Amino acid sequence: MQQSRARTTLYYLLLWLVAILFFLPVFWILLASFKTPNDILAVPPKLFFQPTVDNIISMLTRPNTIPYFVNSLFLSITSVSLAIVVSFLAAYALSRYKFRATNFLMFLILSTRMVPAAAFVVPIFQMYNAFQWRNQFGVLMLYTMFSIPFSLWILKGFIDGVSQRYDETGFVNGASRLHVMFRVVLPQVRPGLIAAFIFNLIFVWNEFLLNFILGGPGTQMIPYALAVGLVNAGGNVDWAFVASLSTGYVLLPTIMIFLFQKYLLVGMTFGTVRGEV
Amino acid sequence: MIAVELHHLAKSYGHKQILRDVNLSVESGEFTVVFGLPASGKSVLVRLLTGLETPDQGSVLLRGADVTRLSAGERNIGYVPQSFALYPHFTVRQNIAYPLDLARVPKAEIEPEVQRVAGLLGIQELLDRKPDQLSGGQKQRVAIARGLIKRTDIYVLDDPLVGLDFKLRERLIDDLKRTQEMLKVTFVYTTSDAVESLMLASQIAVLDAGEIIESGAPEALYANPQRTQTMHHVAFPQANLVSGVLRQQSGVQLIETPAFRTGFVSEQPGQPGGEVQIGIRPEHIRIGQPPGVGWLTHNAKVLLREDLGGEEIVYLDVAGIVLTTVVRSDDQTQQHVEIDQAVEIGVQPHHMIVFQAGRRIGVCKGAE
Repeated sequence: MQQSRARTTLYYLLLWLVAILFFLPVFWILLASFKTPNDILAVPPKLFFQPTVDNIISMLTRPNTIPYFVNSLFLSITSVSLAIVVSFLAAYALSRYKFRATNFLMFLILSTRMVPAAAFVVPIFQMYNAFQWRNQFGVLMLYTMFSIPFSLWILKGFIDGVSQRYDETGFVNGASRLHVMFRVVLPQVRPGLIAAFIFNLIFVWNEFLLNFILGGPGTQMIPYALAVGLVNAGGNVDWAFVASLSTGYVLLPTIMIFLFQKYLLVGMTFGTVRGEV
Repeated sequence: MIAVELHHLAKSYGHKQILRDVNLSVESGEFTVVFGLPASGKSVLVRLLTGLETPDQGSVLLRGADVTRLSAGERNIGYVPQSFALYPHFTVRQNIAYPLDLARVPKAEIEPEVQRVAGLLGIQELLDRKPDQLSGGQKQRVAIARGLIKRTDIYVLDDPLVGLDFKLRERLIDDLKRTQEMLKVTFVYTTSDAVESLMLASQIAVLDAGEIIESGAPEALYANPQRTQTMHHVAFPQANLVSGVLRQQSGVQLIETPAFRTGFVSEQPGQPGGEVQIGIRPEHIRIGQPPGVGWLTHNAKVLLREDLGGEEIVYLDVAGIVLTTVVRSDDQTQQHVEIDQAVEIGVQPHHMIVFQAGRRIGVCKGAE
């Protein structure tokens, strides 16, 4: 008994050590955003210091910072919301009308996400240039399209889990197909909607390459701002700016993940592992 | 008036033919049980009847009108689906009110109706719960209530008691029977359970191999089954089936089985020399000395006893054939037995029904 308790303690101690090790860079950035530039670079790193909000104020007062945040929020939330609407409709159809090659079609849709962005950024760029889509609408559509495969897979898994008896009970009592979709099935796959939303929101929020290549003034997001603001006029890394912007940047996903962490597992397993949700 | 009529219904899925030629007629106010073994196509029949699917051939008539091409919502049927299908995001009250909600019945009229059917099924105190807070039996009652609240005269119940425990089933059987009689409406009810069929039905229709092979009042079907499947399955415990041969010997027809040799009273022309099956109900097999003359007797060995308290099911080895029999525990005239005991059994020949190619051709007649 005594021994097993000691073992458990040791076990948790190890887990905490590893977790802290992984958390250290984030912690460093968080602290740095409240330090003066001199304190940031002090050796050894200062754990105790006079906190300041100068970095944050100067970051926020730079001319483009607020638009970057607005772009990030607008593009990620809008595109993922659109993607979820499309995916829900598609997932319902793929789940209820089992036509031939449904599985192959599902695979094809997912296959668009099996290639790294770097591999297709050039053709996409050419295409967007040719069609003059390098605007807010074009980028929004790109992110929507990119959010559909995972959302579709997650939602198809969930809708498959809703027995067709529910649909049929509705039909026999005079319900329309739309009623069944939105009043009967939709409320039952709410965890899937949340999972798909969080999962893809984090993806779009963190997307850099396509945003960097295709983006323009109306579409540049925080990762782009981080990349271009990394080095200051003097040729040095602007740690104060990077730290304060990063802190603001990780805020949304951190809160989201904290609030909805159980749905993340659902997202990563396409709804096959439901756990507690 | 005829409430439900099915004419020559056929339905296939891919190459698999589920229903071949289903004909059924249900009088208004009747409690019709469609009995069929698992995978006999009961659910498909229900889907065609409710309009969830259209038949490949044949027609569905409700209240005298052809509704074959009408959608499910246009047929005005109260429906209790298999496996409850209660909406988890609704309360019990909302679930029960659902058919009325969909029919846009004014809110003020819905609540008294909900109270009425909830009272009928004894679930008034559950109305504010969510389905996941209910036991299996409670869920079933809610599903039945939701089916019954619809203001119509035809209700379809797709195996509603499947998977419930024995005691609960018995109570719900009583409730259903009482409810149907009170409302004087038409019930079409499917099940694969013989006891449910016999207890509930005013008409049993036996579905086998894609056809209704036989239908009629439960007492008539039990006493005089016309088909092997009916005799064998619409009973608890199942009827014994013994294979034999029909012989023609000097102008007299005989039935020979490994255990018995008996005369034959033909009702339908049978094929001499052909194989026959003889159905014997367990309660007609007596253990011990036969109480009268004209009984067929044989030696048997007791293989197994299942004590059900009030009665016992005894499995016997009779000349290599396993026969089951039922012995009432309080029946002093019957011999009580132990496993491996050698006993004598007797059966009256007129209780032995002879089938050929699945159809009844006659009964047995005394030893020859």
